[in-house]
Amino acid sequence: MEQQLIQDSLQGKFQHGIISFDESSDILTLTVKKQVVIEVIHFIKEELGFHFLTDLCGIHYPDQELALGVVYHLHNFQRNIRIRIKTFTSVAEPEVETLTAIFSSANWMERETYDFYGIVFVNHPNLIRILNVEYLDYFPLRKEYPLEDQTRTDKDDRFFGR
Amino acid sequence: MSQYNLVSPPEGYSAPGFFATSLDKVVGLARKNSIWPLPFATSCCGIEFMATMGANYDLARFGSERLSFSPRQADLLMVMGTIAKKMGPIVNQVYEQMAEPRWVLAVGACASSGGIFDTYSVLQGIDKVVPVDVYVPGCPPRPEQILDGFMKIQELVGNESLRRRYSPEYRALLEKYGIK
Amino acid sequence: MENLEREHIFVRPEDYDKHFSTLNLGPTHPATHGIFQNILTMNGETIVDAEQTIGYIHRAFEKLAEKRAFYQITTLTDRLNYCSSPINNIGWQTTVEKLLGVETTKRIDYMRIIIMELARISDHLICNSVIGVDSGALTGFVYLFQEREKIYEIYEEICGARLTTNLGRIGGFERDFTPSVIRKIREFINHLPKVIRQFEKLLLRNRIFMDRTIHVGGISAERALNYGFTGPCLRAAGVDYDVRVMNPYSSYNDFDFTIPVGTNGDTYDRFCVRQEEIWQSINLVKNALENLPEGDFHTDVPEFYLPAKEDVYSKMESLIWHFKIVMGEVQVPVGEVYHAVEGGNGELGFYMVSDGGRTPYRLHFRRPCFVYYQAFPEMVKGSFLSDAILTMSSMNVIAGELDA
Repeated sequence: MEQQLIQDSLQGKFQHGIISFDESSDILTLTVKKQVVIEVIHFIKEELGFHFLTDLCGIHYPDQELALGVVYHLHNFQRNIRIRIKTFTSVAEPEVETLTAIFSSANWMERETYDFYGIVFVNHPNLIRILNVEYLDYFPLRKEYPLEDQTRTDKDDRFFGR
Repeated sequence: MSQYNLVSPPEGYSAPGFFATSLDKVVGLARKNSIWPLPFATSCCGIEFMATMGANYDLARFGSERLSFSPRQADLLMVMGTIAKKMGPIVNQVYEQMAEPRWVLAVGACASSGGIFDTYSVLQGIDKVVPVDVYVPGCPPRPEQILDGFMKIQELVGNESLRRRYSPEYRALLEKYGIK
Repeated sequence: MENLEREHIFVRPEDYDKHFSTLNLGPTHPATHGIFQNILTMNGETIVDAEQTIGYIHRAFEKLAEKRAFYQITTLTDRLNYCSSPINNIGWQTTVEKLLGVETTKRIDYMRIIIMELARISDHLICNSVIGVDSGALTGFVYLFQEREKIYEIYEEICGARLTTNLGRIGGFERDFTPSVIRKIREFINHLPKVIRQFEKLLLRNRIFMDRTIHVGGISAERALNYGFTGPCLRAAGVDYDVRVMNPYSSYNDFDFTIPVGTNGDTYDRFCVRQEEIWQSINLVKNALENLPEGDFHTDVPEFYLPAKEDVYSKMESLIWHFKIVMGEVQVPVGEVYHAVEGGNGELGFYMVSDGGRTPYRLHFRRPCFVYYQAFPEMVKGSFLSDAILTMSSMNVIAGELDA
């Protein structure tokens, strides 16, 4: 019921920006074009009462054309509904508008996403690596990079079944 | 007689009125019973160290009542917890600031070998950046294990020759880590 | 004459900005519990600005989780907020159960509540006693740590480990509570109030402690929400948001408990909220223990629940399931799920994307203190250095959770 209302009001406002609605997972999920994602979040914050940014994280699907994704989770405390917003961008042009103007909490979460996936948040006040060392020259959570440290020499592959 | 335990004197010759032993042993005895540890607690093992310092396990019994948070006054660097690559140079720096003689105790699997975190960001053991004297296994080790590791350090301290720190072998060891 | 002297000694207010000094706090500072760096710009004793550097124990949990089977991730969650590992463990297990659509029995839920509330007590005990230490009262710390040891003993009795518990399984527990567990919990719960009352007598109305903490490091409710505060820090600012009530998991809705809220969002309020939560948790454990229903201690999900070791060695079926789970030959549903539990520091969320493989495709931990620690510069601006230390310890920043 509530989901239907949210869906209707969003569809009325952002006809072309919204790619899909998905109700099959645990919370209402919508995928939007990256050009409108900040507008959409601003709208659902101000008009629909989602005042709390629970989470912001990146995701990488190497097989897709738009391989890098940003996933936002918002929470409406008054009516206790959560919403998930996804947006995708290509590896060649990994740029998404920053959310820091709307939520202060997005600051570090976006830095973390940049650190892990190399998604550049345009207009972010201080977009530098947050968790990793500054001289790291790749984005470790992208799927093509291995988990283990490749510079290690003390490991004998025979003992690890490789 | 007394409720306090006294440490036994080192080997030596005694007769009424005098006691003779080597200087090494006396200095070792004094050093080993008053080690000032620098707790370099980064993560989970640090919480177990707090338990070790607490009333139940009481590290103070071993002469280490006084924690030295300044590396300048510390004798023993206790590295407890994961050391990430970002942290590696800092461990090295802290070690450099310590005055000789100095010892290092690596507490827990992460400090000893990287533990379960065989990842791009974690230093695979602090012996990559500083020389380590005693390793304590466990993830995290129990306070008893930390105490055991500490007693092993005491053993090393007590038996160390006064000349060791001037020996070419020791110089070469430090050279290997780039420590002057 | 007098005026002339004063001019020589004191810096005029209009020259203040020319006399800033930079102070480096951390990463190995005794007052930073855990490892992170604060670079403070000081005007005399007053803080003008702060800048944090974190990541000194970044261990790549999220990348690791992409390489680990579901049952192996419990071990990783231990090391997030290591002051209350069981909450993380159970949070992860309930996340997987949500993805699988597994319903747990009341007995499992109640057992979980008992353990989670004990973990919350141990988390708050460490935080509040350390606030005491940082304001100069070591005594409370020593006494509370003795009580904390008893919680460790209970964990040991349940799962064999003290700190990194790896407690429970997907779908329940590896073994039932033994009578001695129940006895130990009872003893602990009966004895704890006496110690907590002593501790409160020491600090709660202590003039020095009140002067050090009231109106120190305050934040308004609105700013706190904007900064993504959760848990005791948000409640101290006056917002009664608690995941246990908002989105009840593990049958929390069967119990009656109050959520304490503060008014100023300052250090004293955070201290009081945590203190009151300890009392609530004691009651919750008591109630759950009294009403602990009979039943099985694990749900019948053979595809995910690792069978008991003695069965693996003696029963054909268990051996097969064990093999299948360990080798990753069970069907995992495709989908994504967000599940949150109320951790020691606030909303501990797990966002998991599963592509049907043995491991999660993507697992993101929403770590409460990572989100709210970024408000630290705003909270300490204009206050004294010693206040900043207290603010930091009252935010209970756990490095493992901060850096993941």
